[in-house]
Amino acid sequence: MRAVESDHQTALVADVDRVRGVSVQGLAQPWIVPTVRTLAADLAARADFDLDFISDLRMAVDEVCAALVRLADPDKRLRCSFQLAADWMSAEVSVVPRESGAQVSTTGFGWRVLQSLVDEVSVSTGDEDATQWVGIRLVKKQSSG
Amino acid sequence: MGGHPVGEEAVIRMSEHRQFDQAGHANAAAADPGRHDREAAASDEDSEYGHLEPLLTEYAQLTEGDPARAGLRERLITGFLPIAHHLARRYSQRGVPTEDLAQVASLGLVQAIDRYDPNLGHNFLAFAIPTMQGEVRRYFRDRTWSMRVPRRLRELHIQIGHATRDLSQQLGRAPRPSEIAAKLGISAEEVLEGLEAGTAYSASSLDRELDGSDSEGSALAERLGANDPQLELVEIHHTLQPLLATLPARERAILLMRFFGNMTQTQIAEKVGISQMHVSRLLAKTLADLRERLEPA
Repeated sequence: MRAVESDHQTALVADVDRVRGVSVQGLAQPWIVPTVRTLAADLAARADFDLDFISDLRMAVDEVCAALVRLADPDKRLRCSFQLAADWMSAEVSVVPRESGAQVSTTGFGWRVLQSLVDEVSVSTGDEDATQWVGIRLVKKQSSG
Repeated sequence: MGGHPVGEEAVIRMSEHRQFDQAGHANAAAADPGRHDREAAASDEDSEYGHLEPLLTEYAQLTEGDPARAGLRERLITGFLPIAHHLARRYSQRGVPTEDLAQVASLGLVQAIDRYDPNLGHNFLAFAIPTMQGEVRRYFRDRTWSMRVPRRLRELHIQIGHATRDLSQQLGRAPRPSEIAAKLGISAEEVLEGLEAGTAYSASSLDRELDGSDSEGSALAERLGANDPQLELVEIHHTLQPLLATLPARERAILLMRFFGNMTQTQIAEKVGISQMHVSRLLAKTLADLRERLEPA
């Protein structure tokens, strides 16, 4: 992938597991965002979701990654995992914040955009090995018709 | 297609860069066609456009709803129009019809007339010419491929656009890639390629052909109306509103329809008269612009 070329220090690891899940991770820096959104759109297209779904998902993942990269420690990883089912897809993206206690804004225009683009969106936080992480999870359903 | 081959566009970009590199040296005037206009305008203004000056002042003083405004605006536009045409000619020979450029420059002129504030002390042309140039530059930028896309993929992309429009009408929703593949008699993989090719350019001469719509600008703005559904309810109203005002009418309308009007891209495409893929690109681009300005990195 092109992203790897632009930062040789970071390996981009994609692995496809048994339950139609794909995850990808790399340093939480702006260059990773186009790669992740393109992966999201590609997965959605290959799963044969309709064109509105595909481009909404692409924009939503772009928005999520941009929001998280902004508050992320750029030397830590951004992790993103997608789950695919017959009529929905989910994405969960998380980063380690630069400043502890940093929050994702859920009152701004960006959040409004996310709410319009997907069916469910929520913020999550947690600790792993004593390191705090912040994440956004979204679910988009294929409307019937 | 009546558009411009990719190679030509690429050459245009390169030559522009080269000129910018030399700006400030002997070639500065070539790099900035408007410079000449500004200088000339400053000296010629009294003789050529001086009679319009009082009208500008009068126009700026009228309130929004004043019945005299429309007529005055018309006279100002007509009066200054030769400048827009002159500017357009300076940017021609770059693979875009001069009439198109003249239209774009005129759009900038109208904006300048509407925004000009005589109380700020500078003369109108010093304000209007950069505004018109800005519009023309934006036009070139929006029609430049950001990546070199092979001809086969561009044609595939056009075919997919046509199929998408037909299928959307038949199905009442956006088609799936498999449905497009079946309609065109090509593989799903090819559809994916064609869709991906569409993300490689920033906006599009392609779409103009695809949609057969040349009537961008003010006519479209009128067609879309100026409604801001539900915007008042939004908490970020105060920060967003001024930015929205700076967006081109079409981008603004599309943004509002998608995020505040709860319309799908396919519905918006139908309403605005452009392709779903074009709506998708415009939305993504507008969002990225807004994000940059709302929360600079």
